[in-house]
Amino acid sequence: MNRLNALPTLQIDPSRKISFIYRNKQYYGVEGDTVATALYSNGIRIFARSLKYHRPRGIYSLDGECSNTCMEVDGIPNVRCENTLLKDGMIVKEQNVVGSLENDRMSFIDKIDWMMPAGFYYSTMHKPAKIWPIAMKQIRKVAGLGVLSPEFKMTGKYDEIFPTADVCVIGGGPAGMSAALEASDKGLRVILLESRSVLGGFFEYRSHEYKEGQSYHDRAKELSAQVEGAEKIRVFTNASMIGTYNNNLVTGFQIGGKNDSFDERYMEIRAISVIVATGCIERPLLFENNERPGIMQMGCALRMAHTYGLVPGDTAVFSIGHDLGIETAICLHDLGVKIACVADIRKSGQASKLVAQLTERNIPFLTGWVATKAHGKKHIKKVTLATLEGRQPTNYDCDLLVASAGLTPLTSGITVAKGTVKYDGHTGCFLPDKMPAKMYAAGRIMGFDDALSIESSGRLAGCRAALDCEACSTTELSDAKNQLDGLPDPAAGCKLVIAPVEGRKSFICFDEDTTIKNINQAIEKGFDVPELIKRFTSAGTGPGQGGIPGHNLPLYVAKYQGMSDVSIRSTNVRPPVIPTLIATYAGSNHSMFKRTPMDEMQRNDGGIFRNIGVWQRARYFSSDLSCKNEIENVRSNVGILDGSTLGKFRIFGPDAVKALERVFVSDISKIKEGRIKYSAMCNDDGCVIDDGVLIKQGENDYYFTTSTGRAGSTIEWIRYHTRYDDWDFHMVNLTDSMGVINLSGPNARKVLEKIVDIDMSNTAFGFSEYKEFQLDSTIPVRCMRLGFVGELSYELHVPSSYMKTVWLMLGEAGKEYNIQNFGVEAQNVLRMEKCHIILGQESEQRTNLLDVGLGFLWNRNKTEAKTVGAVALRQAENDQTRLKLVAFKMENKGRAPRDGALIVDKKVRGYICTARDSFTLKEGVGMALVEGDLSKNGTRLEIYEDECGDDRIYGEVVPMPLYDPKGIRMKM
Amino acid sequence: MFSKQKPLWGKKKKLKSSYDVVLIGGGLHNLATAYYLAKEHGITDIAIIEKNYIGYGGAGRNTAIVRANQRTQHNVPLYKEALDLWPVLTKELDFNLMFNNCGNLNLLHSEAAMKAARMTIATAQFHGVESHLIDAKEAKKLVPSLNISDDITFPIHGAMFHPPGGIVRHDAVVWGLAKGAAQYGAEIHQQTEALAIGTKDGKVTSVTTSEGVINTKQVLISAGAYSAGLISGMLGIKLPISVLTIQAMVTQPLKPLLNHVVSSGAYHCYANQTLKGEIATGAHMDPWPNYTTLSTAHFIKHQAEALSEFLPCLKGLRFMRIWGGLADMTPDMAPILDGNDQFEGFFMNCGWGYFGFKSCSVAGKYMAEFMATNKCPDILKPFALKRYEEHKLMGETAALVNYSPDN
Amino acid sequence: MALTITCPICGKRNGYEFRFGGEEKGPRPVEKDLTPQSWCDYVHMNNCVAGVQEEWWFHKDGCGSWFSIYRDTTTNYEVEKMEVANNEQA
Repeated sequence: MNRLNALPTLQIDPSRKISFIYRNKQYYGVEGDTVATALYSNGIRIFARSLKYHRPRGIYSLDGECSNTCMEVDGIPNVRCENTLLKDGMIVKEQNVVGSLENDRMSFIDKIDWMMPAGFYYSTMHKPAKIWPIAMKQIRKVAGLGVLSPEFKMTGKYDEIFPTADVCVIGGGPAGMSAALEASDKGLRVILLESRSVLGGFFEYRSHEYKEGQSYHDRAKELSAQVEGAEKIRVFTNASMIGTYNNNLVTGFQIGGKNDSFDERYMEIRAISVIVATGCIERPLLFENNERPGIMQMGCALRMAHTYGLVPGDTAVFSIGHDLGIETAICLHDLGVKIACVADIRKSGQASKLVAQLTERNIPFLTGWVATKAHGKKHIKKVTLATLEGRQPTNYDCDLLVASAGLTPLTSGITVAKGTVKYDGHTGCFLPDKMPAKMYAAGRIMGFDDALSIESSGRLAGCRAALDCEACSTTELSDAKNQLDGLPDPAAGCKLVIAPVEGRKSFICFDEDTTIKNINQAIEKGFDVPELIKRFTSAGTGPGQGGIPGHNLPLYVAKYQGMSDVSIRSTNVRPPVIPTLIATYAGSNHSMFKRTPMDEMQRNDGGIFRNIGVWQRARYFSSDLSCKNEIENVRSNVGILDGSTLGKFRIFGPDAVKALERVFVSDISKIKEGRIKYSAMCNDDGCVIDDGVLIKQGENDYYFTTSTGRAGSTIEWIRYHTRYDDWDFHMVNLTDSMGVINLSGPNARKVLEKIVDIDMSNTAFGFSEYKEFQLDSTIPVRCMRLGFVGELSYELHVPSSYMKTVWLMLGEAGKEYNIQNFGVEAQNVLRMEKCHIILGQESEQRTNLLDVGLGFLWNRNKTEAKTVGAVALRQAENDQTRLKLVAFKMENKGRAPRDGALIVDKKVRGYICTARDSFTLKEGVGMALVEGDLSKNGTRLEIYEDECGDDRIYGEVVPMPLYDPKGIRMKM
Repeated sequence: MFSKQKPLWGKKKKLKSSYDVVLIGGGLHNLATAYYLAKEHGITDIAIIEKNYIGYGGAGRNTAIVRANQRTQHNVPLYKEALDLWPVLTKELDFNLMFNNCGNLNLLHSEAAMKAARMTIATAQFHGVESHLIDAKEAKKLVPSLNISDDITFPIHGAMFHPPGGIVRHDAVVWGLAKGAAQYGAEIHQQTEALAIGTKDGKVTSVTTSEGVINTKQVLISAGAYSAGLISGMLGIKLPISVLTIQAMVTQPLKPLLNHVVSSGAYHCYANQTLKGEIATGAHMDPWPNYTTLSTAHFIKHQAEALSEFLPCLKGLRFMRIWGGLADMTPDMAPILDGNDQFEGFFMNCGWGYFGFKSCSVAGKYMAEFMATNKCPDILKPFALKRYEEHKLMGETAALVNYSPDN
Repeated sequence: MALTITCPICGKRNGYEFRFGGEEKGPRPVEKDLTPQSWCDYVHMNNCVAGVQEEWWFHKDGCGSWFSIYRDTTTNYEVEKMEVANNEQA
């Protein structure tokens, strides 16, 4: 197909060919083409088959307002080809057809539409019940549009930016550009978003006269040159707004060009003020077969010719309700299209200049007429026109029907931010009503048609936004207002809702194949609100985001119900207002975990890492997940573990003790320097939320640890529970600045003695004591004698920067004992044998401090401290029905149950927290939470495991701890 | 199917001055309660009072997932019965609820999660509910698009597979139950707002609405997330509830890709494919109370990040629509079903959080029994409000109660 | 929606920088007076106001302070304390 190549408005370069593959054949488009226009230039007229009836569909809006040109491009389904720039080597395929687009074997469904009234699937296919699963499979197969392979791999680069601005202007047409210029003239930083590749909007593609000697196109160029030249305006083209939110957050995405480092990028813009200048889309005309290929909207036909150099037909009929239609007819005529007739729905109100131009060209012109039916199976062949009352039906042969009831504002930018729109009887449009705070509308979205009014309303919006930014005087604002007041008001709009037809094949929603008849059926069924009709008929829930039915549905429903103009309510629009790739939203998605100073060394030692809270930790050090070697080495020799993820805090100040007494259950004032105090924090229900040790470092100065998981919220927690008290204390989170090495096993002392020059003997440094010393007279170490794993054990708290050094020193010192790493799982088993609990593992929402056996930590006499959890503990302490933590061993040396197995009799009585076949104890042991009456020693526990069927295994409650009950080993 | 269309839930009627039972809220739970009151107990003089239109709230906003693999023994039997009721209701209501029992696959990303899942699975199996622990490879067989490699934020260790669960067309349940209740004579009054509940000597006497006063001895508030505000506002009864926005979104429609509901706690994400072919997916909640039902930029992005990790092929899909609904969260993630306590004749059914859809039929059934007999059915007893002051939280979540609703 | 919260120290920031800390219920009650009911009322029960409420927030990704604000739960906009007081008087 030959391209027009001498038009000033062209956005293509016909001299630069671009090749692509369609249906396994090579085709060529030209630079600047969209996939759809390239296909069109190669004679393709059917771009898709509709969802339900498999009706042929062609280019209709050229703006992606419906799924008519959704195709698969490079493996990505549902690509709106009319919005997608053609790139070299693209592979394009049709969707949702059996056979080909030309001959779809499913198209017979179009003839049996009578079997499928609105919501028919709710009243069919469930009798008898066994049909449904079969029917459902078929429904799934025929539903959906494109195909996505489970192996599909997205290529390309996806990025994200989060810019801020004083003013964000959505829409780079004449109003948006005027607004941006006004704001930037006042010294403000402006971001301007334009979804097309060039600025200019409604002016850009029009060759008619803007003013004496200047076309709309020239005016667009003039404005865009000013915008491009304005230093404070940051212009994003190919950038669509997808969401607006209160407090003026605007989201969007930008498609990258040749020289960009991204294919698409997600944008999140925070501005002080937002101007919505998104203009209008067209209101589809409702008549029979209103979506046949060859039927186009006004702007579509005009842009096909002016922007892409494609003459959209040989013989055209126009059925329109807006002057843009007349203008288009004149332009197409001048480009060589035969115009059989221009039928204007409006009986009057056309611009006389345009009517004169029609007359000059001898183009037949009817007023008060409308298309009622399109003929032709796969492409329009002729159209029936009639009066608005349906009289004098007359057929016109044509291969192009430009059909449009008029314009309708694209208000989604306002409504998704919870602004409102109101039906306006004069324009026949939903116009902005209540605007969100610091958001303004400009241009055609307000109903303006006149070019000067459009620009002036932009400048006024720019002033308003500037006023929010304190950069505009009230005089300037009222000048701008007066200027607009002196210009033409919005023109009266076409108010026709539907051509005089019965509506069986008049499609109100192209995406979902919803007809006027379906809407009638829904209303008769009792669905009287547009939102409900939407749900029942699916109208407006397809890929076009409600663009096609958005205006017509509420109007039609109101007409059907005989409602007044005032009560017409628009349907909801939801973000993203343009379908947006998940890849784009994800942007430069990255995961972040914290790594300890020992991370690399432990990985080199064969550590198998897991995510634990916000950290990565070594869980195993061999592929033997039972950790036999690690465990036995700690029990009989010496092991080394990286405990750096523990929370570590300093709290100090005159009221530090009071704060600690509020959150810790113990009496903090009794802690002595040089001693370690193990304690716990509860929530208000008395459940243990954290445990750790405290060390007194001076008067009102303490160092304490928390569990890995709680470290992030410890300060928050303590401040929360003291927020009314006005106490004077300070906290420092030392978690990341201090590392922790746990050295455990009977040989631990011998290893440590080799590098430490203080007396490490049991008498000088006993169990539960704390010492500070330096290694090599340089490295400060805080050392605690603890016994979490039940052996002689030292916990060394070392500045993170020295961690590697100390670790290497210990490794060197331990060489003669064959010191080895142990990981989190080995530690888990070791401490379980000792019946030391891990919160979350041996505790849960239903267990309090007493239930898990930590009641000895609670000082019940400090009521004045108002300790968090104390009240609940006191109120619940005599309740015998609560879950209690017990230790158990398996009967007859049986294997240990799996963690999470249940304790049952006739009902569930508890569950296994942690259980293992203990290498140390040579039998299956564990800890379980059981109902109070099962907690006595000697009680037989019936254990129900997943997949056990009728088999049960049995355990017996035994005293705690299981290992080394006298605690000799950790005190030796 | 080819006959002229008739209104599904009867013609509009004028509000009477008295009813045996008044149900405040035109959502799933009250429609079900009305249906069962009429069908099982012969109580048909019922007014359902709805401020907007039926199914306006959570009923029309949830992602329609049903399952019975809850954590505790109090909940499992309830949800099991609810699951068993879908085919029964389809038949009884003569309305296709489009139950697709495709099974739920809950991804597990750590050893700890595997353990927690094992307890849930054992609880399910103990109560005769099918549920299994499977490894990552088996999960991949069920959902070929899963990414089971180690190079994602939360590598997949395994999954809990629950074959009897699936999805039900949520709107159909609203309309079907409305049809069923109306057939027995229950009246549905839309665009009618309940304003006050009148009491005398500790007994319910009336309900004041925007369309007039109704004399009644029994009133049930089950208005989804609006319940707590109504109950506290009308009767001064405070509840341990936080109302949060929960969001869901759908992609463009697609030929079959996901044959099961896939969910992940670590990613805060679930995804399933609707019969129409859209991938419906949801995030967790905005952790502050509000009644706005607004979506956020934050969560749709979060959702995309999550999906592109464990279902990477979805990167090539487009999100089409996001919306928000409200969830009334309790500290123990279990509902409050209670009645005849603070006031004789006053009943409540709320606090379902995001489980209200799955449970609507069975909650309606037993609330109907409770109201008809004035005796709390055993199955509902653990859900009484008193449990919070008795320190007997239900443990439906293992997570501990904090000061904020972000449990 | 795009919640913003005004931190008394850091100013107006993105709502996701903060953590919600519950409805304002007054200082911790004295222990000896607490019954199970009054304890439960303080710890668990909420008013669930559809409208303006006073509530606590923590600036977790910022200065780390707890503070209370007034917010309309039906719009998610903050409300000036003055406005609340004026409305109550009216």
